[in-house]
Amino acid sequence: MYDDTRYPLSAAVVERHGEAWRMIASSGPFWTAAERVEMVAEARAAMYCDLCRRRKEALSPFAVQGTHDSVSDLPASLIDMIHRLRTDPARYTRSVFAGVIAMGISRERYIEAVSVVNASVIVDTMHASLGLPLPDLPEPEPGDPTGQPPPDVVDEGAWVPITRVSDRNVSDTGLPGSPNIARSMGSVPAAVQLFFTAFRGHYALRDIPLAVSQPQAEFIASRVSALNECFY
Amino acid sequence: MLLRASGQRENRHFNLNAVNEEGSDSGVEHSGHLRALTEAAVGSRWEALAAIRDKAAAAMGQQAMVDALTVAAGFNGVTRVADATGIPLDPGTQASTTSMRADTGIDSFDYAIKTARYEGRAAAEG
Repeated sequence: MYDDTRYPLSAAVVERHGEAWRMIASSGPFWTAAERVEMVAEARAAMYCDLCRRRKEALSPFAVQGTHDSVSDLPASLIDMIHRLRTDPARYTRSVFAGVIAMGISRERYIEAVSVVNASVIVDTMHASLGLPLPDLPEPEPGDPTGQPPPDVVDEGAWVPITRVSDRNVSDTGLPGSPNIARSMGSVPAAVQLFFTAFRGHYALRDIPLAVSQPQAEFIASRVSALNECFY
Repeated sequence: MLLRASGQRENRHFNLNAVNEEGSDSGVEHSGHLRALTEAAVGSRWEALAAIRDKAAAAMGQQAMVDALTVAAGFNGVTRVADATGIPLDPGTQASTTSMRADTGIDSFDYAIKTARYEGRAAAEG
């Protein structure tokens, strides 16, 4: 990954993206490796999906009905969720989540999919931003989903239960030691691990190990949050 | 909110409204280039991004330009995690950022408000 770039990309990012890609190609707690790789393929297909394009142009994405240009055998509600999350996160609402759950997909399976798709968003955005072709999809390993022990989670007002924590102290970063974003996928610890393997080299709350200053990194973060209408 | 905390830590004042107002001076060095890089990357405007990268690298240096895109790519994923799980603000942040969220328009991104706005529009159009 990133072998052909002339740009000086952080070695930590290169290493972690490779690791994330290998993790995606392994069975998760609730989805097979083949299904996880299909989620990445579906996220990519969303970028060229005619229904997604028409929804993006509409005043409300819920006003436009149709069929996605899909490339997988994943459940239809999951395909819809992946396409919406990839192409129009600003207007992703609770009803999309509820629609997936209503079709019999558990919250845990939903969270694992969110992790896989968003890890791939990071990897693909990094490649495309540097003018590189997207990396080949990883070859999925055989095997069934691994399952997981019951997670220690709590309802604190998110759409899904989040990791239970005891440390509520706020640091001078303005965030508690365990911010909600780190707890949000706590129902599936492997999903937390995958996503933050992909993300970790991209930012730090202090002493950011990149050639941009902390305020510059946070200006960028703020702008992305505004573009994606991220309340958090 | 992170930018606000960063300014407080460094005893500097950043214009938070500039995040959403093109042409406003944020007080952050090279914010024009940072904005252009970020918007092109998050908006998937790959052809335009080639020229934007060159301009930014000339002004900021190549490493800083690449690392700016690195931050943007990471947040393009992490914001989607928040958007897909509907997490509330962290304890403490809710109370300490009330006026800032109102001033910058961030309150309109509240997940319950967004749901009402976009699904309400769909109902009206239907």
